[in-house]
Amino acid sequence: MKLKLILFAAFFGFAVSSCYDLELQPKGILGEPELFGSSYGVQKYFVQAYMRLPIEDFIYYVNTSDQDVNNNFIGYMPGNSNKWQAYKNSLSQMTGELYGWSVGMNGAGFGYWPYAAIRYVNVFINSFPNYKSNYDAATYNSLLGEARFLRAFYYEGMAKRYGGVPIISEVQDPINGDKDSLKVSRNTEYDTWKFIQADLAFAMANMSATSVLGRANKYVAAALMSRSMLYAGRVAKYTQYLGLGTDAAVQKGLAGMDPTKANEFFQAAYDAGIMIKAGPYSLYTKNYPDKATNFANLFLDRSSSETMFSKGYDGQTFGHCYDALMLPNPDMSSFVGSEGYPVLEIMQMYDFPALTDAQGKPVRFNKRSDIKIGMEPRLQGTCFFDGDVLKGIPFEIQRGIYLHFAGPASDAQSGSNNAPVNAISNRLLGTSKGSTYQGVLLSGRHGMSTAGSENNCFNGAFMRKYIDPTRTTALTNVNKSTTSWIAFRLGEIYLNTAEAAYELGKRTEALDYIELIRVRAGCKVTRPVLDQTTTSTYGYPIEASLQFIRDERLRELYTENHYWWDLKTWRIADQVLNQRYPRAMSCYYVFDEGKYIFIDEVNRDNRNITAPKSAAYEKIPQGEINKNTNLLPQNPLY
Amino acid sequence: MFGAALFSLASCQKIDNWAEPGARLYGNVIDTYTGKNLAMDNNDWQIRIIDRTWEKMNPGFVAQYQTLAVMYDGVYNNAKLFSGTYDMLPYDGPFWPVDTVKGVVLDKEKQQDFMVTPYLQVTDLTSTLVGTGLTLTCTVKAPLLLKGTVALPNLYEVKPFLSLTTFCGNSNYINIAEYNNLRKSINRTWAAELANLKLPANSDAISYTMGPLPVKSGYTYYVRVGACVNALSRRYNYSPIVKVVVP
Repeated sequence: MKLKLILFAAFFGFAVSSCYDLELQPKGILGEPELFGSSYGVQKYFVQAYMRLPIEDFIYYVNTSDQDVNNNFIGYMPGNSNKWQAYKNSLSQMTGELYGWSVGMNGAGFGYWPYAAIRYVNVFINSFPNYKSNYDAATYNSLLGEARFLRAFYYEGMAKRYGGVPIISEVQDPINGDKDSLKVSRNTEYDTWKFIQADLAFAMANMSATSVLGRANKYVAAALMSRSMLYAGRVAKYTQYLGLGTDAAVQKGLAGMDPTKANEFFQAAYDAGIMIKAGPYSLYTKNYPDKATNFANLFLDRSSSETMFSKGYDGQTFGHCYDALMLPNPDMSSFVGSEGYPVLEIMQMYDFPALTDAQGKPVRFNKRSDIKIGMEPRLQGTCFFDGDVLKGIPFEIQRGIYLHFAGPASDAQSGSNNAPVNAISNRLLGTSKGSTYQGVLLSGRHGMSTAGSENNCFNGAFMRKYIDPTRTTALTNVNKSTTSWIAFRLGEIYLNTAEAAYELGKRTEALDYIELIRVRAGCKVTRPVLDQTTTSTYGYPIEASLQFIRDERLRELYTENHYWWDLKTWRIADQVLNQRYPRAMSCYYVFDEGKYIFIDEVNRDNRNITAPKSAAYEKIPQGEINKNTNLLPQNPLY
Repeated sequence: MFGAALFSLASCQKIDNWAEPGARLYGNVIDTYTGKNLAMDNNDWQIRIIDRTWEKMNPGFVAQYQTLAVMYDGVYNNAKLFSGTYDMLPYDGPFWPVDTVKGVVLDKEKQQDFMVTPYLQVTDLTSTLVGTGLTLTCTVKAPLLLKGTVALPNLYEVKPFLSLTTFCGNSNYINIAEYNNLRKSINRTWAAELANLKLPANSDAISYTMGPLPVKSGYTYYVRVGACVNALSRRYNYSPIVKVVVP
């Protein structure tokens, strides 16, 4: 009873004494005058806007249901505690560029709806003119241009998903305004892309030519122009072949555009590319003549002349797990380790040694690492193969032993257990890492034993792109990686310009750009011969050289999270990813010959990747439609 | 303790004041060419229904569609719906688009059949078993190359489906590379495919042969072939199912 009395007295005393006058100006809050009145304030204000940009990087998490507090940048997850899993669930895993962890193809969309971020930038764009007198004209225009660049980036993140979305360029008033005015309808897809184009044209004309690391300048705005207008051109030209013409959203122009508009977008992409080509950037060649190391270092060197815009990580406040999730534990990673491996069908798109001879028999190799003889340097800079040394340890990748293998490679029936040559009396498979048979290696330390896909290479190689070789194994751990993600680099811009130029009929010029890329890659044939033969693999006619340019994009930008958006905007995601079985390059030791062979096998889970037709457009988030039915009609097939 | 038990029991008493959804909506999806139910697999595609009564009761809201599964025999049946007025649309199936049937009044029970015109017909399926290799031959017909002003979309693919149960089709099949990779990927207009195969330009039927597909001794397979055009989600028109006993 006494205790109760004391508690009561204490509470009463506290409650009464806490009733001070609260009519004070808070001292720690920065208002518009402080933030917009000086370029330092603006820089602070922009930090939040840069943080929310839709850059699919190391922490982009496909299909997550996790949400941040504003529920407006699902998937991009800055600061989310579950982001360590992000790279396991990357776009590359989803599209089958990497194989190991299974990521579902979610045609229902990722729910990206960044109108809170757009409002944040709109507040700046609307109010900044009040502070014009604080700046000289160049600085003022540059900052305003930067804001328009940021806004365009958000819209590009939506347009590539949904097609047409509501264009909000003013700050809405939810309290005093008319409630119905908040229920904005979708603009057409054409208007959405034109809005992005207008913002970027302003940014390109007004931003400064240079910027500090991690901040955009006019060339970065041009880079976004190059990419987004290329997407828009493809959408305009190829949506007609999807067979969705009867759908309400298509008929209203919310999804898809008039094919005659394609060239104006390709022209805008081309013009932006020309501006960048004349700018201060150059393809990275610092480590010549070793073109493989040069290509690998391009992604690691923060002073790279090729990097236009990157997203930085310090490993403290913001780190990522890429190294820890792509390298095998315990030799090279101290975290859960690797579970995503490059697939054979993409490796074979580069200059790649033949696995079979003219008679169809497997080529015999003296060493496993001889697979790299004659291999394109760019591929060696992209992947680690057996024998490559990282952190002092050589990779060791072997699937098993054939006691005898005399026939053609087709005898192996893509690795099927039913093939007579694969009977357990002839094909020996290691059940654990580094196991041996009669003193000979059976399965490698880092792959490909019959164990699961974690820390056990499934497809014959590891990723090298973006792997930091100087990071110790102890520090290859959760959220410790500091590699920057390159959001725009000159290599991509050359490929964008090449494709846009080709679509505009400037075929020779397009191949000039491809040649620049392929010289740096160290390809055997640097300039492809112009071939205008048309094929219609995807149901629409495409010239062979244009297909080559598209393939070059995959070779150069492999696992840089471009492929999904490329497939989507070429309108072929549902056709390229139509029961595609990722393949493995399985190395075997032939016991009675003392040689090694490589067999082209179907992935051992017999897993295939299929994108639904609906992947061309994502679903407008249902929660937004419930709030605003003017967003209807829904995108096709939902 | 007793109090807690009483409380937890007592809280389970309340029943809401809505009648349970007990109305039944059912019917057939009928192929206009044969007059019989459309050949399909379980839940390949769905019928969309929208409850307009709910919209009237909740002004300002737009009702979302629900879907009714159509089963392998072309029959659909749902006995757990609320009574009301519905709009109904067979959507994204392997047939020329049909109009929404508006104002279907569902009180206790309602039969609503749909007539659909398939894009393709797959007939004359024959299977030849040599050892453990199964070869399939079928005829794909396109009865209608133009409906109004809309042309038949590209012929997209012809695909074998093997199953170990009597259910067979895109929802129930042995999904392995050995079978899937033997499908015919075409993606051409009907005329271009005829030209490609050097067939007369006025043919309305093309014969395809697939195989040999590796099957296992001692098993009974249920086999059919599906063909699709590049429309919406590319659903299949199927042949009848053939039973194959592998000795």
